[in-house]
Amino acid sequence: MGDEQPTIQQQDSQEISKESDTTGETDLNSENSVDGPAVQKASENSVDSAAVQKTKIDVLLKATGNAPIMKQKKWTIDPDKKIAGIIEFVKKYLKFEPQESLFLYVNQAFAPAPDQTVRNLYNCYGTDGKLILHYCKSQAWG
Amino acid sequence: MANDREVLREIWEGKLPVSFQLNSEEVIDLQSPEPYYLMVPRLSYFPIVTDKVRKHFLRYIHQDKQDAEMWLDYNGLALKWHYPIGLLYDLNKADIELPWAVTVHFDKFPESEILHCSNREVVEMHFMSCLKEADVLKHRSLVVSSMQRKDHNQLWLGLQNDKFDQFWAVNRKLMEMGPTSDESFKYIPFRCYHGERPVRQKLVKPVTEDGRRKTLQHFLEEVYPTEHEKVRVVIHGVEPPRETPLQWMSEHLSYPDNFLHLCIFIDETSAT
Repeated sequence: MGDEQPTIQQQDSQEISKESDTTGETDLNSENSVDGPAVQKASENSVDSAAVQKTKIDVLLKATGNAPIMKQKKWTIDPDKKIAGIIEFVKKYLKFEPQESLFLYVNQAFAPAPDQTVRNLYNCYGTDGKLILHYCKSQAWG
Repeated sequence: MANDREVLREIWEGKLPVSFQLNSEEVIDLQSPEPYYLMVPRLSYFPIVTDKVRKHFLRYIHQDKQDAEMWLDYNGLALKWHYPIGLLYDLNKADIELPWAVTVHFDKFPESEILHCSNREVVEMHFMSCLKEADVLKHRSLVVSSMQRKDHNQLWLGLQNDKFDQFWAVNRKLMEMGPTSDESFKYIPFRCYHGERPVRQKLVKPVTEDGRRKTLQHFLEEVYPTEHEKVRVVIHGVEPPRETPLQWMSEHLSYPDNFLHLCIFIDETSAT
């Protein structure tokens, strides 16, 4: 999955530029983000869109077990970003070998599905205005 | 704790007839294979029930693809193996005729649409993760973490082998109010699926602030504040009445992963 995707910084800037884009297109490409490419959609064509969070979410990435620490721990991430994209980003940031795996955990209790969004996780498990994700190189709480 | 045992059993026994057909472009044999028919449990996952499907089609495809990952599509839409089968069916139900004609592929894995599933352990990991997440929501993770490894295994084996009693002997503990001895769960584990929109999940309590039991109506007002009047909810092929208590729904209508996977249909024509 996703060997040639851009880094999250690049994705971020793409996302920022796309945030003003309200073409009202349907959100077909939300599914693409399993593979990493930057995503911007959300149901602009629905009455409910006002309720959809558009602002970015603060995510704190904490190493656990034998995983290397990230110099920068706090990131602002598009709420529509999926867990798969974050895993790919952390692997790239920490210069993982392709065969090395990375696991992300919420509340030190469960591993969210790769297609889960940052928005849903923040809405359910965010604390003090941020979402804390633990990462490790082997299964921890799974 | 879930008391209406007949309801639990009825839901557990829900099955769907599926006709699996090999993608015609992948057939290298002179003769095209017959479809493979299965009755599959609504509560299960495709990778758990399709070993025989794979075996049936392997000899019709190219030698190079014998070890390839099998994937499924319905009507050109790749089916997400990590969604329960009943959910996949309910989401597409409007245009499905039974038996449900599903196309089998071994080639051109749609990387951007579905997750990889190399073996059953991947399904088990996903299932257990959902179950743990549900317990975080219901009991602050206290019940699942107090269980032993064998209890976790029993839940998985119960689902995998379609054994109601085996599964519920352990699952009943997850459906109890838990150590806090409250009258209800802390939050209701649910996910709302609505066409191409992102899946919606948030914190919803089963009781109102003044302690009254919430119903499906309350739930919809909370999760779809501007659209709730036009919303139709389908789970296990039925539309639960709006006055159904939310706590009861969570105890009786949740999938084995302890989540209420709700299909949302919004009638765009009716006025608000």
